[in-house]
Amino acid sequence: MSTAEVLVLDDEEIVCDRVKEHLEKKGFRVETFTQSTKALSRLGEKRFDVVVTDLKMSGPTGLDVLRHVQEHSPATEVIIITAYASIEVANEAEIVGAFGFVCKPFQLEEVHKLVKAAAKKAMKQR
Amino acid sequence: MRRRREREDPRDVIRGKLGTFRDLLAQNNRVLELIASAEEKLGGEYIFDRQYLSTLAGDLERAVRDTVFDLNAITDDRYRELEDAFERARTAVQAVVEGRLVAPEGEYVVPLEELDEGHAELAGEKLSRLAGLARWLSCPVPPGFVVTTWACQRFLQRAGIDRGAEWVGEAPDVEELERRSRALVRQVMDAALPKDIARAIRKAARRLAREGHARVAVRSSALGEDGADSFAGQYRSLLGVSTSDVVDAWREVVASMYSVEVMRYRLGRGLHPTRGLMAVGVMGTVPARTSGVAYSLDPARPEREVLLVSAAWGLGKTVVEGIGAADRYEVSREPPHPVVSSVVGRKEELFTLAEERGIHRVAVPAGQRDRPCLTEAELAEIAALLLRIERHARCAQDVEWAVDGQGQLVLLQARPLAVQSSPADRALPETLGKYPVLMRDRGVVACRGIGAGTVCIVDDPAALTSLPVDPVLVARVSTPRLSALVAGAAAVITDVGTPTGHLATIAREHRVPTIVDAGEATTILENGAEVTVDTEENVVYRGLVRELLRHRLLQGDRFEETQEFHVLRGILRRAAPLNLKDPGAAAFAPSGCVTYHDIIRFAHEKAVAHFAEGFRFRPSASSHVRRLLLDIPLDLVLVDVGGGLAPRGAGSEVDLDEVRSVPLRALLQGLTGEGVWATEPADMDLDGFMSSATRSAALTQMTVTPNVAIISEDYLNLSLHLGYHFNVVDCYLGDVRNDNYIYFRFAGGVTEMTRRSRRVELLRLVLEANDFVVESAGDLIYGRIKKIPREVMDVRLKMVGRLIGFTRQLDVLLRGDSLVERYARKFLDQEDGVPPPPGEGEEK
Repeated sequence: MSTAEVLVLDDEEIVCDRVKEHLEKKGFRVETFTQSTKALSRLGEKRFDVVVTDLKMSGPTGLDVLRHVQEHSPATEVIIITAYASIEVANEAEIVGAFGFVCKPFQLEEVHKLVKAAAKKAMKQR
Repeated sequence: MRRRREREDPRDVIRGKLGTFRDLLAQNNRVLELIASAEEKLGGEYIFDRQYLSTLAGDLERAVRDTVFDLNAITDDRYRELEDAFERARTAVQAVVEGRLVAPEGEYVVPLEELDEGHAELAGEKLSRLAGLARWLSCPVPPGFVVTTWACQRFLQRAGIDRGAEWVGEAPDVEELERRSRALVRQVMDAALPKDIARAIRKAARRLAREGHARVAVRSSALGEDGADSFAGQYRSLLGVSTSDVVDAWREVVASMYSVEVMRYRLGRGLHPTRGLMAVGVMGTVPARTSGVAYSLDPARPEREVLLVSAAWGLGKTVVEGIGAADRYEVSREPPHPVVSSVVGRKEELFTLAEERGIHRVAVPAGQRDRPCLTEAELAEIAALLLRIERHARCAQDVEWAVDGQGQLVLLQARPLAVQSSPADRALPETLGKYPVLMRDRGVVACRGIGAGTVCIVDDPAALTSLPVDPVLVARVSTPRLSALVAGAAAVITDVGTPTGHLATIAREHRVPTIVDAGEATTILENGAEVTVDTEENVVYRGLVRELLRHRLLQGDRFEETQEFHVLRGILRRAAPLNLKDPGAAAFAPSGCVTYHDIIRFAHEKAVAHFAEGFRFRPSASSHVRRLLLDIPLDLVLVDVGGGLAPRGAGSEVDLDEVRSVPLRALLQGLTGEGVWATEPADMDLDGFMSSATRSAALTQMTVTPNVAIISEDYLNLSLHLGYHFNVVDCYLGDVRNDNYIYFRFAGGVTEMTRRSRRVELLRLVLEANDFVVESAGDLIYGRIKKIPREVMDVRLKMVGRLIGFTRQLDVLLRGDSLVERYARKFLDQEDGVPPPPGEGEEK
């Protein structure tokens, strides 16, 4: 099986850095972005298997990213990160088709398990 | 119309206040739960961001503010001063959240040997790390002391320099910033120095001179220096300073915080240009024959498995500042550390101490210029020291060292080394599969990391007579002896325990990879065996897994160096410690409250005391405040807020038969059971007796809050002061299962901390065996159980009653770690906790 490509988007650098570090350790190839406009532009250039995105950001939000991916790259799976205070919005995200979501603060293994499952599904659909 | 004067029924007043009291308890518990949960986040298993930190700070602030409000509502504003204490604590937490630097209040001057990594806020990262290496690894470092950040902050505040620094920081452009910077440096150099600070520095310097160190190095150790931003070489450090000039040298180092270079550096890193605090180290100058710098890896090509050493004759300035030729060596990381390559430079000059003060450059004698300035044995010694530091710090290292005239190696400084790594380096090595796995996914990770070394079963006292170099400490339960060894360990594994326990907190403080509640680690792992513990994956391998250890060094950004980690630790250091322990002490006052924990402890104590006073009614005149008559010598005041006592006439005392409160009856049934409340004094050894005697003498001097039970038919809040023990049971027992809960808290004791900590472990074992969720900090332990059926609640409350009686004098009896489990088993087997024959399992 080839290496899964993951895009991580969160306006907090520490989230990007730590998720990247952990997923790279597990053998994923990871690119990180702290601005959603830049992430969207990258998504236009390259196909990723999994997108892990924060929900609330300045500029396009996580839901905007989700819609963009569903429209332009339906095989890509999206995982939404939310602050625990916005779980209700996260439910909405799930309704519109995210693969899953994690609430901050979250454990490294939580995000790894989700990404692994999402990547498996995405790679089957390639 | 006739006006009728309505008098409020005292019982209604009590009921109203009881509602407020229950809210106070709920807030109190909320604060402790928030602290415990935040503590867990420090272990590295969680990803959290700034949003979480500000939410945490906000939640803590609200819960503590409500507690203070509730206390004043209950006591008719008797403790308005507590609002000031809250404001002080809130400001300190807020400063951390906003990234402002605030020095912890402390001494102006602290000897280096009294510090370790935990004192970074007082001594700066650089010096606290050096002190930690001396303390935990016995690394040879020069003797000396630290002039703390607290001294710096006081000086800057008293001289008004902190305000000037803000003004400098607001400069509209770089030219103006530079102009203002020069003015500020002059202001620091000219400002009047507070006499108490100058006196403390001179006194410590004279002591150092008397010990034979008349010339010293005065080194910067700013907050944040050598942390996430290295600040390498940005601040002043002065060599060869005469001890009579130390005060001026200190001032010069402090002023270097405001130099143009530092401000430019800070601006370039996105930091505020002038908000800094400086600790300063004053250490004996090493009369160096050879000095230099060493890296534990080649930072550009880490795969080469070599250490890099640069060395020159004399003091270290030549190599550190790169201002003269030096020898360059590559040394194998593998013992016995042979030299892989060497380039011997032509060393024309060296730095040495000048006659009276400072250092100067002199010519190297002709015969020595082309000679290597280190022997192979010395290089091997440097390599071994460096790798020990690397294993302890769990990342590649950059150290400064010196070798004196007698060939003695001395460590001058150590800091993390940034190493380039590729994604391939960061992926888990595929070859791991070939190593035998001894344990996988057992227990809970309390602190993430990778460590390797020799298994040392702590429960076996013989194993502790000589600890191996990199001990992997393995124990059945967490004990004080284990906690004391954690800082120097490669990893820690316990069979039982929780990630919020005292041991886990210490492990996280020292960043030691730790697994708790692993079940059978003491059976699976063999004393003396070499193992590699990977708590990032929760795996223990047989033998040393070199690929994994190398992977650890190349992992890239380290969690504990992130700003978010520092902020969380800063919040907890200002929220979690409990300083107010003794309600009889003079410091048990709003003015003595430093942390949030102090404030809620004070509020709880005073709220209970207020109920005990019967709202200023005398017990005999009040039908709801009575003294309970018991067969055991326990003085207990009952405050009935509805249905807790049988209706009756006047009289200030009631019998057990008249108690209608279901939870109190259940608890008393356990407490007054046969043999539970030993009437004979506990058998004490001399230490326990002396400790107890001393403290009991103090006890008679103080006003102690009486034992109080606030009761209704289905509610109990019990506060007991038995000697120095402080025990709280809060519980609701009704027909609706979801409303039921028991909250149990225990702290204090008459003996020294070691025995009290043993008691904490014993209580943990008993409570956990009874399905309580347990957390602890120091000698404080609290457990809670909720949403259980009425009949189970009844059984658990009886157990709690027995436990209170059983633990009353227990810490006196807990003479050895091995007795902890034995007594716990005795209790759980429903025996009476009779002490085993003398001598068995005791620590000498």
